Amino acid sequence: MFRKVLIANRGEIAVRVVRALREMEIPSVAVYSDPDRTSLHVRMADEAERLGPGPSAESYLLMDRLIDIARRRGADAIHPGYGFLSENADFAAACEAAGITFIGPSPASIRAMGAKTAARQTAVAAGAPVIPGTDEPVTLETLRAFTAAHGFPVLLKAVAGGGGKGMRRVDREADLEAAFLDASSEAGRAFSSPEVYVERLIERARHIEIQLLGDRHGNMVHLGERECSIQRRHQKVIEECPSPLVAAHPELRHEMGQAAIRAARAAGYYNAGTVEFLVDSDRRFYFLEMNTRLQVEHPVTELVTGLDLVRLQIEIAAGGRLPFTQDDITWRGAAVECRVYAEDPYNDFLPYPGRITRLTRPSGPGIRLDGCVYLGWTVPMEYDPLLAKLAVWADSRDHAVQRMLRALREYDVGGIRTNLAFFRQILEDPEFLAANLHTGFIEEFWKRRPPLEADAGVVAAAALAAALHATRAPSEAGSNGGAPSASAWRDAGRESLLR
Amino acid sequence: MKLLLTIDGRSESIDLISPAPGCRFQLGDAAPREANVKVAEPGVYTILLDGRSYDVFVEDAPSGMVVSVEGHRFEIEARDPRRWSRKAAAAGMGAVQSIVSPMPGKVIRVLAAPGDQVAAGQDIVIVEAMKMQNELKAARAGKVLTVPAREGHTVSAGELLATLE
Repeated sequence: MFRKVLIANRGEIAVRVVRALREMEIPSVAVYSDPDRTSLHVRMADEAERLGPGPSAESYLLMDRLIDIARRRGADAIHPGYGFLSENADFAAACEAAGITFIGPSPASIRAMGAKTAARQTAVAAGAPVIPGTDEPVTLETLRAFTAAHGFPVLLKAVAGGGGKGMRRVDREADLEAAFLDASSEAGRAFSSPEVYVERLIERARHIEIQLLGDRHGNMVHLGERECSIQRRHQKVIEECPSPLVAAHPELRHEMGQAAIRAARAAGYYNAGTVEFLVDSDRRFYFLEMNTRLQVEHPVTELVTGLDLVRLQIEIAAGGRLPFTQDDITWRGAAVECRVYAEDPYNDFLPYPGRITRLTRPSGPGIRLDGCVYLGWTVPMEYDPLLAKLAVWADSRDHAVQRMLRALREYDVGGIRTNLAFFRQILEDPEFLAANLHTGFIEEFWKRRPPLEADAGVVAAAALAAALHATRAPSEAGSNGGAPSASAWRDAGRESLLR
Repeated sequence: MKLLLTIDGRSESIDLISPAPGCRFQLGDAAPREANVKVAEPGVYTILLDGRSYDVFVEDAPSGMVVSVEGHRFEIEARDPRRWSRKAAAAGMGAVQSIVSPMPGKVIRVLAAPGDQVAAGQDIVIVEAMKMQNELKAARAGKVLTVPAREGHTVSAGELLATLE
């Protein structure tokens, strides 16, 4: 096993990895940028070292510096988390060259699945179904030839893409040229490669992905699916396991699982990885892409399978064999996860970093909270707005949703804005409860969502608290102050009444 | 004491008749009621009203307060009707358009200087937070009066970035 592991990441995922390492009694090394000096992953790790200033290019993306720190600190492995360098084949290769184990797949596997067109070719060669599209970047001429053969709507995508950048839906011939130029220039800016390819667009598709785990001895299993159809601008917001569609059609799990394993094997894959599929309304599934790393939403799989994916990643990277076979994997109950973001859903989802002035966390039966937030912490404005992943487990989907609603009601984060109230609205939606999910769900929901109607008692309580808050004594106004004594508060109340 | 409230844009009045914890109050024309109110921690009010228990979270915001109860979120402004209201006075002035930051972030571009003539929809300042850029535009054509925004400086939500004629 490893002597010490460096975590080349920040935020909640770095905290998640520190926790696994501590349980395994392996010392951890955190790294941080200046605005992250007091972040939770730094406080929790055994050792920590500064990388540089806030911008990622001057901190979390500095490959040589990360490897140098690992060497000097005696760390013999690096866990990349997700994002940053986690899917960078050059970084994985540089770790190997330095004699440090990269906790993830080989550089060759990352390359085979990295560019979206390369991944499509790998999937096609492995016999996995893919959405009709081009395996090569398109020009305007080849794009026109494709739409002539396959019709509209189509989706233009960046070859080097991710996160919805360089993606354009096109519904008619007249818009094709403008969309192509738009997508190319956006891709060029985001990924320094203007190449785009085209796929037929599948309307009202569900996003269902398969979690894979393989060791370096040729063993590979799937850990079932996650449904991540609730997305906003191609970013997942709510994930669940099992997928309600798969729960209703259990044969899908085996079929998609085997297709995912074939595609991953074709890339010589080992460690944890995820194959994403789109599923159409006739339950036909199509290979979308493979993420060659741990996924943000891995907790829902952990809750339902009872496995610890991060521990398994580390054991596999150290040369261990999978401690189970496919037949040993079982799925129990249902798990749902909400991604809690520092953003204001009621103001165009604008990001909202800042200092946390109040914090009440949900707890009790079936709750799992993977976060990096503490009272008094300032959420930095340099990084993505994910604060925490709130996951729940229960014996059925209905009970898990009820449990999530209960947990959301217990959860309060003050000082910044979050999307907690938005989750409550979605989880109470009849279409969500009926599991009529698809990737355009939030867009449709946002138009039909009912007004947030509160009963008269709630409004009266809110009005009363606001009036008392507005008339409290100035000494209580400071956000740093402790709780005012009851008598001081009463005096303040009397004083304000005398004014 | 009487306060005028604006709850999510709707006007309401509240009369605080006796102080907490046994707080008698009257909301609009409704009959006076009594609530038991305690401050659990700063900004957190536990209210027992008509046999029900409410945990109310109040936060000061640039334009009043943000109040959360049972997952509901209200934007509430409170003002003493006997006092001069800056907001009301500003509304009376009318002609000046203010550009304020809608979110906490960093000013990455300042695209106009005092004296510039700008068109409606023209970008004035760009604020960035969490990898998201927000272009703040002139609502209508006019002359730039002041530009307190400075490139590289961080701003809070509601902070004034520029004023236009």
